[in-house]
Amino acid sequence: MKHWTKIAAAAAATALIGSAAIAEGLFAPNLSYRTGPFAATGIPLMNGQKDYMAMLNARDGGIGGAPIDFAECETGYSTQKGVECYEKTKGEAIVTQPWSTGITLQVLPKTNVDNIPILAPGYGFSPMMDGKTFQWAFNTPSGYWDGADMIVQYLESQGDLSGKKIAFLHLDHPYGKEPIPIFEQLAAEKGFEFTPIPVGLKEMQNQSAQWLQIRRMRPDNVIMWGWGAMNAGAITEAVKTKYPMDQFIGVWWSGHDADLALVGDAGKGYKSISWSFPNLDAPVMADIKKHVVDAGLSDSNETEMNGVFYARGIIISAILSEGIAAAQAEYGTAEINAEQLRWGLENINMTEERIAELGLDGMVPPFSTSCANHTGHSGGWMLEWNGTGFDKVSDHMTPNVDGYRALAAEKAAEYATANAPWPTNDACDAES
Amino acid sequence: MLYRTAGQFKTSYKADQALFPVRQDAILLGIIMVFAWVIFPFTASEFAFQTMLIPVLIYALASMGLNILTGYAGQLSLGTAAFMGVGAYACYKLLTIMPWMNPVVAIFLSGFFSAGIGVVFGIPSLRIKGFYLAIATLAAQFFLVWLFEKWAWLYNYNASGAIQVPNTTTLGTYVTGPLASSMTQYYVVLGIVTVMTILCINLTRGNLGRMWKATRDMDIAAELIGINLMKSKLIAFAISSYIVGVAGALYVFMWKGAAEPNLFDIPLSFEILFIAIIGGLGSILGNFLGAILIVGLPVVLNLLPDALGIPISSALVEHLNIMIVGSLIVFFLIIEPHGLARLWALIREKLIIWPFPH
Repeated sequence: MKHWTKIAAAAAATALIGSAAIAEGLFAPNLSYRTGPFAATGIPLMNGQKDYMAMLNARDGGIGGAPIDFAECETGYSTQKGVECYEKTKGEAIVTQPWSTGITLQVLPKTNVDNIPILAPGYGFSPMMDGKTFQWAFNTPSGYWDGADMIVQYLESQGDLSGKKIAFLHLDHPYGKEPIPIFEQLAAEKGFEFTPIPVGLKEMQNQSAQWLQIRRMRPDNVIMWGWGAMNAGAITEAVKTKYPMDQFIGVWWSGHDADLALVGDAGKGYKSISWSFPNLDAPVMADIKKHVVDAGLSDSNETEMNGVFYARGIIISAILSEGIAAAQAEYGTAEINAEQLRWGLENINMTEERIAELGLDGMVPPFSTSCANHTGHSGGWMLEWNGTGFDKVSDHMTPNVDGYRALAAEKAAEYATANAPWPTNDACDAES
Repeated sequence: MLYRTAGQFKTSYKADQALFPVRQDAILLGIIMVFAWVIFPFTASEFAFQTMLIPVLIYALASMGLNILTGYAGQLSLGTAAFMGVGAYACYKLLTIMPWMNPVVAIFLSGFFSAGIGVVFGIPSLRIKGFYLAIATLAAQFFLVWLFEKWAWLYNYNASGAIQVPNTTTLGTYVTGPLASSMTQYYVVLGIVTVMTILCINLTRGNLGRMWKATRDMDIAAELIGINLMKSKLIAFAISSYIVGVAGALYVFMWKGAAEPNLFDIPLSFEILFIAIIGGLGSILGNFLGAILIVGLPVVLNLLPDALGIPISSALVEHLNIMIVGSLIVFFLIIEPHGLARLWALIREKLIIWPFPH
């Protein structure tokens, strides 16, 4: 029974921390996952994000003169821990970066009440692109529906799709199911046969049944929406069953260097659509080397820093810092709050010039967000594994957003009805 | 000294069989109740509500349901999370089909669905025991989670396959959904858990409880003295699943706010089983102690480095946390294999005879 006193002590401790955590600068916490089953993919992303912010602090003294307090709160990709972190940080934070579909789902309805922007770059619920409904959520620069559309565009550029068979190997989870409506719509339009093949969370590392099905079906292409251990599982299984790698395409989360390094040359030809690219010659990499790595502030290593995921982490932090900078310019203060950052994230304008100015040449396609368009639809490049790293094998592709704008609006409206009363921002016009 | 029982005479059978034969117990419980009902709600921060107070109560309730089945009736079950899922999905369907329904009523009703499913999966217990029965309930675990994924009607054909808690009101205040305040939700949870706990204490002290204990200790002997095993086991399954189902509905509607099918997968079953075992099988108090240790303590440990101003990375804290909680579990089970409730009982006994040990 005396354990109850522990709760009391904890409550007191929380109150204490709540008041003590008001640090100088801008508090932009990251709900990281360096532990747990998805740590292998999480660590390079987290390191990239952290190192970019550390570089800004060291080189420029933060953003607009305000240092960034980029604290991490460890979730281990668990929803429960994620909500714990959200509750712990939301008081002073200007942004929340949930880093998992499960956490995003739980936090999304609360953001309207707590008034704090969610930054979910390249993941989360695709209809979040509708900024009118999802005022506080941002999945810049590209959503899953954009990715699905670009993959189909790429396949079409390789030859007519009608009559072809495309298998869709996906994690049987909200994340994996996300692009299915777009693929089904495109399959009907372009006349290809689309077969979803789910991989259960428990079968991620043993996909023999799924690959047996693929072998029997002989699809012209396999598209993969995998995460964590599922990617490595699928790639090794594809090599084992001798599936032609150049017909195998993954989403951006399925293009992790370490997964492909496992098979090395046997993985040559594997492709992944991506809105980020590790350009090692970009000035930002040299700055990070100089200000962060050489100063001993980085947790990363050489191999990891050459990879796609580390570079993506940099881009994600760059998007956030652009949002912060936009808000600072608009409101004329360095110490912006969550509400002002929301405006900033809605007014990111990443032009070619701005990308070059930031030293991110060739690492992210240009894009801009607006009040109604919270995604930006940057488009991306098709990357191909060459045995040791990823190469760009396509020009900058852009998704055909008009194809699913109506669907996004419909899903967003459905979400708003299910969560009524749900305020929408009617000041925005629907155009993006 | 504090627990001296000298002078507390029992002059009637009724007094002798009272819930609190020792006056100090009642006083202690009263103090805890004041804390739970008055002091915590008015001092706790949003963070404390969401990460400690509400989840500890909900986990304790789920564990209590399991304890009725495993601790009192002796039927080992690994399907707790699935039965929680039945409660949660039933509550979701009730509230979306009949939006006018009071959410608290819906939560109580959803337990009945879970009880029905529990009885069905309890039928094998009439023929098999122990580990074999655990495997049969494991089947429930796999089958039901699969059903939550595949039966799209359950989640109203939502594209992502998840259920979202709607905003609902009772007496003009939001009780469920993102608009509900943590304090309201805490009081609803606390109210339901209190009612359920009183129910459980009385059930386990009464006729049914004795029947269950006889079944647990030796079912052949129980049958010989005239206990209907079928009745005893199936009632245990029904009541246990009812409580677990209510806990599941609370879990999603009063705390999580959204749920995907794999939330109700086997790790949750194990977590609740651990709470029951570490707290103490065959006790009601143990569920609360176990939930505090398994659910509340890691949160407190996570806060410590920050509160003490020790600069270590969040990932390292998490690793340390897992190690500390793991070793505490081993430690407690070594010093008292029957769980925390038994440990408390021993401490209390020592306090009663203190300072003159036998």
